[in-house]
Amino acid sequence: MPGELSKAAAIVGAAEANEIGYPEDMKTAIRLHIEAIKNVSDQTGIPISMIDGVFGAGWSSQIAEHLGIHPAYIDTTAVGGCSFEMHVHHALAAIHAGIINVALVTHGENGWSQRATKGRGTGRPQGGDKWSPDALWSSPYGISGAPSNYSHAMTRHNQIYGTTPDDFAHIAVVTREWAGLNPRAVMHSKETHPNGGPITVEDVAKSRLIAWPLTLLHICLVTDYGGAILITNPEIARSLKTKPVWIAGAGENMSHSNMLEMEDFTATSAAASGAAAYKMAGMGPEDMEMAMIYDSFTLTAGLTAEMLGLAPRGEGFTLWKNGDARPGGRLPINTNGGGLSFNHSGMYGMQLLVEAYRQLSGTAEDGVNGIKGKQTSARSCVVNGTGGSLSTTGTLVLTAD
Amino acid sequence: MAEYTKPIPEPDPDSAPFWEGAKEGKLMLPRCVKCNRVHWYPRLICPHCHSMDIEWIEGSGEGWIHTFAVQHRAFGGWAEETPFVTAYIDLKEGDRMFTVLRGVDPNKPEEIKCGAPVKVEFEKASDDVSIAFWRAV
Repeated sequence: MPGELSKAAAIVGAAEANEIGYPEDMKTAIRLHIEAIKNVSDQTGIPISMIDGVFGAGWSSQIAEHLGIHPAYIDTTAVGGCSFEMHVHHALAAIHAGIINVALVTHGENGWSQRATKGRGTGRPQGGDKWSPDALWSSPYGISGAPSNYSHAMTRHNQIYGTTPDDFAHIAVVTREWAGLNPRAVMHSKETHPNGGPITVEDVAKSRLIAWPLTLLHICLVTDYGGAILITNPEIARSLKTKPVWIAGAGENMSHSNMLEMEDFTATSAAASGAAAYKMAGMGPEDMEMAMIYDSFTLTAGLTAEMLGLAPRGEGFTLWKNGDARPGGRLPINTNGGGLSFNHSGMYGMQLLVEAYRQLSGTAEDGVNGIKGKQTSARSCVVNGTGGSLSTTGTLVLTAD
Repeated sequence: MAEYTKPIPEPDPDSAPFWEGAKEGKLMLPRCVKCNRVHWYPRLICPHCHSMDIEWIEGSGEGWIHTFAVQHRAFGGWAEETPFVTAYIDLKEGDRMFTVLRGVDPNKPEEIKCGAPVKVEFEKASDDVSIAFWRAV
């Protein structure tokens, strides 16, 4: 039986910034936010002045100030790429409690442009704490950036379950197939990027070694992205020109912050956040008709599929290898082309939400360029974000009307 | 002594016993007086039983590889050392440390096994800081 919060609110619109990926002109994070917010307001017909809750990964007060609004609920949960799935969870509770009526979840990140802006316009504080656990106990040993850490989890999975990097390479290959159907994907084709277009398992294996066993094509892109969604109560949701996508279930959890505290390198807290989301929804993995799974690395997606109950332990990659996850497959996964081939700005949770909304509202083909082929028939979707170093997770079960 | 070119951590007051021990080649570990369990990294409160009564003990310096990777891209002083092997080490006393693993061939990662035994050693990075490294035995 569904929990009390199930479907107490719906996502009623999802939009992106005007230019994402590798824009020619440099973008600031605030521009990426604001364009997406303006677009989702236009899409839904909900004026920005009606937004009374602002949810962003780290700087909600600055965004609200930029918009000239005075929200009654301000949430800056910033625990990595899954923050946005958690924002949806929090917004669901706040709307159910009657504290707010319209929640904005927003994301703007110039992962690509910050090279051109020389680190400015990111909206993030610069520099770290020299007495943090990471500075004291991890970074003196030459690791820097996500690939250097996540590679350790791939090794453990390989040695415990007898899997290989080539098994996980199928995730990159299939995800690239989806990118071929999405003209906004950085790796859509040779026209969008010199290295775009279809790839093979061999291409993945032969790409540049970054942190063994991870080669370049096991690793996500670093792009610009702006995205925003609006969440509201059932009454308002029914009155709009856009279709509601119901938040049937939501959950969040964490196993650690620093990877030093990761108890089991072949498991994440997605098992716990997924269980909470399924319980609230009164549904299970067998009821999911598609999945949007955070793919910062091929490993992240494969491992998370196991945690969400979509495949047995040690066998997550088989969903991609056997074709289930492909276009036309039994369980489409990462239909936008994923963080691997569509877009990954640093935090990828919003990209998951925008695509899940488009699929379940039947507007996946009505993207900016209107190319046909990407729309699936799915009526339910499990959405999972992972943040940090396989640290934090947020899971949602979304359903179409 | 060759100059230490890689990042040198700035010792914090809460883990001073570790840094003092490291200078003498001792692996000092925090242990809860109440539940007797060792934890790593050092905390103000036992993450197992939440007692704040923490003592420091000298560890055996023995452990096993939990998992590892080979870094082919690095920054600062480490850039010149690539490829090098990084590893999470299961301590004999319990819990886990991170390290650059010595005594293994970064070009033959297939030969390195999770569970293989390792021992700690220290490298003097400055007058105040010695850094723990682990070596395959």
